[in-house]
Amino acid sequence: MRRDPNLRVEAFPLSTVQRWLQAVVVHPGDIMEALTSSEAEMEVPSSGLASLVKASHSLTPEERVDIYHGMYLLRMEEALASDYPATKHFLGAQAFCDLARDYVRRYPSRSYTLNRLGDHLPQFFLDEPGRRHAPFLHDLASAELAVSQAFDAEESPKLTAESLQAIPPQAWDSATLQPTAAFRLLRSRYAVLPHLEADKRGLPSPAPLRKASFLVVYRRDYSVYRMGLTRGEFALLDDLAGGVPLGQAVARAAARLKKTEGEKRVFAWFRTWVAEGMFSSVNP
Amino acid sequence: MTRNLWHFKDLGTGVGLRAPHFGHILGEKPEVGFFEILTENYLDTGGRPLYMLDQVAERYPIVMHGVSMSVGSTDPLDFAYLAKVKALAERIKAQWVSDHICWTGVAGRNTHDLLPLPYTDEALRHTSARVRAIQDFLERPVALENPSTYLEFVPSSMTEWEFIARLAEEADCGLLFDVNNVYVSAFNHGFDPRTYIDAIPGKRVCHYHLAGHTHKGTHILDTHSDFVVDPVWELYGYTLRRLGSRATLLEWDADIPPFEVVHAEALKAQAWRDKVVRRAA
Repeated sequence: MRRDPNLRVEAFPLSTVQRWLQAVVVHPGDIMEALTSSEAEMEVPSSGLASLVKASHSLTPEERVDIYHGMYLLRMEEALASDYPATKHFLGAQAFCDLARDYVRRYPSRSYTLNRLGDHLPQFFLDEPGRRHAPFLHDLASAELAVSQAFDAEESPKLTAESLQAIPPQAWDSATLQPTAAFRLLRSRYAVLPHLEADKRGLPSPAPLRKASFLVVYRRDYSVYRMGLTRGEFALLDDLAGGVPLGQAVARAAARLKKTEGEKRVFAWFRTWVAEGMFSSVNP
Repeated sequence: MTRNLWHFKDLGTGVGLRAPHFGHILGEKPEVGFFEILTENYLDTGGRPLYMLDQVAERYPIVMHGVSMSVGSTDPLDFAYLAKVKALAERIKAQWVSDHICWTGVAGRNTHDLLPLPYTDEALRHTSARVRAIQDFLERPVALENPSTYLEFVPSSMTEWEFIARLAEEADCGLLFDVNNVYVSAFNHGFDPRTYIDAIPGKRVCHYHLAGHTHKGTHILDTHSDFVVDPVWELYGYTLRRLGSRATLLEWDADIPPFEVVHAEALKAQAWRDKVVRRAA
């Protein structure tokens, strides 16, 4: 592009320069499409580029702006990949890069931290139901978002077996349990654990399998864990996390199982969950 | 040699605190002068990063280095963000707080890049006023880092070094002087890095940064992904002689090698400092 002799450099106040450069940097197309986009042209006409950006000894003004433009998408893709490794593993590098480009166009970062960039990815798949594998990707992304939320959640005290034993028997029925801040419970239409495992072990991702699945994500000693659940386990955990009193929740869970073994199994689940540190306190 | 204006302690040689090294640092307790954290990584977490940071801060001095203060942006200052920076600085007893001379976004967006400013009187007035407001809010001086840049604006009415020297005086702020960034920008824009260094007010320099970069042939990218190259070490020696001997930090943020490798590279800075002090004696 040639310098426009009619363009005055005073025509570029700081706010105009910044709106222009941002419009170019975040544009999803190539550098020429970015420079001639309506958002960029509104601030600085592309014919005026040489009046705003100097050429260097080796690069044209377009090439110099393109350094920033190219790095933007790389940075966004890298940030999303760190929170959604299994989604990237399933899609492959190029498809994930395309996804990142489309995603940040709709949900650009408005935060001082890149750690929250991917918060809308599950919603993005709901926004675009026509995208290939969108319902499955929504479920997988929801599970990965739960993991990153659990990672950053505030640390909670852990409920111990001793504090449970200290509850008087007459108070048990009405007691409620408080899950830790890192506790996340997920119900999905697709099996997602095999994909999380495939990514972790570096194995090929299996084909999406439509099958109602249940998952709990929690943190113990600052490490995040995930555990697959049966429908019955999920229902009980859902009740407890929702504040249903222990007596009522256990009775409902036992009723869903065979009468003879029901209570025994429910208490075994319960012991496991407490030992894993999913609850922070009991409210008699 | 000049001392820095605020008499910040000379913390010696430091390295960036990075997650892959947490285990080594807490297990082996290496002799490191200080650690520098990437501020934004610790503002919204109650998990492992903050837990590790609290433990490191019990044993080592910590300095905070941010990327989202956006001192040159024409958007309003983000005081909610600054409040979190202030709280974290108090929690870990940060020795000082730093960020970059740049802007990161407008219209409520954050590109998470350190975007260049045109070096004009308007940008200088605007940025100085914001830096003063930030320091008032944080109730402490802020050290601002010279950026590596990949483009220059035609409307600039002063050089980058003139802009930085004037900004430091008008905002009454500190400088975090990144020697590698001067080298990178000098190649990209074709200026003599010594002219740049000569113009920096040494009394305002709180500490130095050193890092590796990636040479692309037509330009250099500030990638923090490799060893410091010899010309940057030479420039570091020149900087120490011109601006004064200060605490120095080695940045390594991509393709991060084992801690011992990063630490050994950082210790080369101490050898340079010792050499300069011996010559001056």
